[in-house]
Amino acid sequence: MEAINARLFGPGLPPAGQTCTWQRDSGLISWAEGRTRLPATAGEVRVAGFDLQGIELAWQDARSGAGAQGRWALQVLAAGEAARVRAAPPAGWHEVFAKLAGGRRARRGRLALGWSALLLFLALPLLLVLGFFLLADDLAGWAASRVSVKQEVALGDASFAAMKPRLALRDDGEAAAVLRELGARLTRGSVYTYRFHLVEDKSINAFAVPGGIVVVHSGLLAATRSPEELAGVLAHEVQHVELRHSLKSIMKQLGLSAVWAMASGDLAGAMTGKAAQHMMELKFSRDAEREADSAGLDALLRAGIDPAGMPAFFATLDKAGGAPPALLSTHPASAARREALAARMQAKGSHPFEPLPYRSWPPAL
Amino acid sequence: MAMDVVDYEIFGNEMQYVEVELDPGEAAIGEAGAMMMMQDGIQMDTIFGDGSAQQGGLFGKLLGAGKRLVTGESLFTTIFHNEGRSKARVAFAALYPGKIIPVDLSTIGGTLICQKDSFLCAARGVSLGIAFNRKLGVGLFGGEGFIMQKLDGDGLAFVHAGGTLAVKDLAPGETLRVDTGCVVAFQPSVDFDIQYVGKLKSALFGGEGLFFATLRGPGRVWLQSLPLSRLANRIVMAAPAAGGSRRDEGSLLGGLGGLLDGDND
Repeated sequence: MEAINARLFGPGLPPAGQTCTWQRDSGLISWAEGRTRLPATAGEVRVAGFDLQGIELAWQDARSGAGAQGRWALQVLAAGEAARVRAAPPAGWHEVFAKLAGGRRARRGRLALGWSALLLFLALPLLLVLGFFLLADDLAGWAASRVSVKQEVALGDASFAAMKPRLALRDDGEAAAVLRELGARLTRGSVYTYRFHLVEDKSINAFAVPGGIVVVHSGLLAATRSPEELAGVLAHEVQHVELRHSLKSIMKQLGLSAVWAMASGDLAGAMTGKAAQHMMELKFSRDAEREADSAGLDALLRAGIDPAGMPAFFATLDKAGGAPPALLSTHPASAARREALAARMQAKGSHPFEPLPYRSWPPAL
Repeated sequence: MAMDVVDYEIFGNEMQYVEVELDPGEAAIGEAGAMMMMQDGIQMDTIFGDGSAQQGGLFGKLLGAGKRLVTGESLFTTIFHNEGRSKARVAFAALYPGKIIPVDLSTIGGTLICQKDSFLCAARGVSLGIAFNRKLGVGLFGGEGFIMQKLDGDGLAFVHAGGTLAVKDLAPGETLRVDTGCVVAFQPSVDFDIQYVGKLKSALFGGEGLFFATLRGPGRVWLQSLPLSRLANRIVMAAPAAGGSRRDEGSLLGGLGGLLDGDND
């Protein structure tokens, strides 16, 4: 016979309730001065206690009629005892207890929904950033495709104008003429109007600005041993423009800084300033380099120039030794890349090429 | 749990203090800073936690102290022992205008849920804990209601209410809707919930909050007419030094009266 300590509220009892003992089997509720019985017909059941661990059984006193005066309530607040009552409801009360359990499940479901909504709201910026990182390349490609050639040219002109004061242009000499000639041969039929510039600079470097501007340092010209090698470098740089790599990279940078500003609230733009700096010295991904390599190779073949100059120039750079030239820091000349080039050349088959008609190499500035 | 049975007397009308009489060997715990005076023979000791016998070991003590931190109380409680050979008295004063409520925990089932920082003092053996309400609505909109203080034991405890005190006995199923700040304490048998007022207009222009507390019987609830936050708000609003606007008492002279009333400094 199981007895449970409970608290009884009802007519004639202290308003703060009466401590009592409830015999589970007989339904007898007894305290120091009196006793009553839990009715066999169910009343109401609800969750009780501030921590919602207890249970309350309420019923109407049949003798005193309707109204709050005749209401009785039996509360079991200790969590363990309340759980035992829930597991084995008193006779005649099974139905209301089952309904309560259903309500509890529904409430718990709502609670879980509420918490997950809150969590999602808090984690949203993080998810946004993560999603952007995963899709950055596709998104940048899509954004770049929305930019017209005219806009791209305007952008390239603006950034080239910003660089110009720091560049020592040598566009009137023989070497510049050779550069333009080779370039024109490589870019026949392109939607872009290319402009090739020679800069007097000892470092071995070349870069492309969006919109069709290709800049070659005199140091690079001096390092090449044949016009074919220069053509290889030019073909590669031209493909960066054709494939809009700079534009995509700018889009990615801008998008990332925008997302970063949104997610972190750093609207003052500490990151945006840094991103603008990056635009000057754009680095391309390894995929972009490989893409430019193979497209450059095709362009060389179309122009009827021996593509062997491209890997040969990498070999020249490797042999030069010493501090790695600036071109290598942005264009890692890995063995894998050279092998890929060789494999592609093999696949294209070997054609007889006419050597480029420049006798004295390298040409004078 | 050994409870000390203490006699007490409450003095004052609107700014009260309670004097507790301790037999030799008895002790009471008080909220830090609430002690007003004590007679010869009473030793004061500051302890970590609440000094109830339930807290065994260092971990239990740390846990108890942590709980006090959550409810906004200080980490330490002060315990007052009567080390003398005769009865001695110690007095605790309320910190703001209002009433001191003596609650005999044994008559209400051993547990009282009360507003954070309303606890004043109690017989040794009463343990101070926290009670969480797991209803989401109470947590988000209940103001002070989400985490409340729980007094456990079967001795006397004193809690403090601001303004005038109202004690309501709710019959089973009877409900009372209360401003959330006005609830001081209630029996755990009372169901506490937060309800949306339902009228944006009254929330915006009526001066009441968007939500109020619903107390559903059975059980006893203690309500205060003037929560400290409300009093503090009015004082700051009326204090020129704190950027509030000065309110005159409707003198016929209007603004000139301020020059003549003798407290220009």
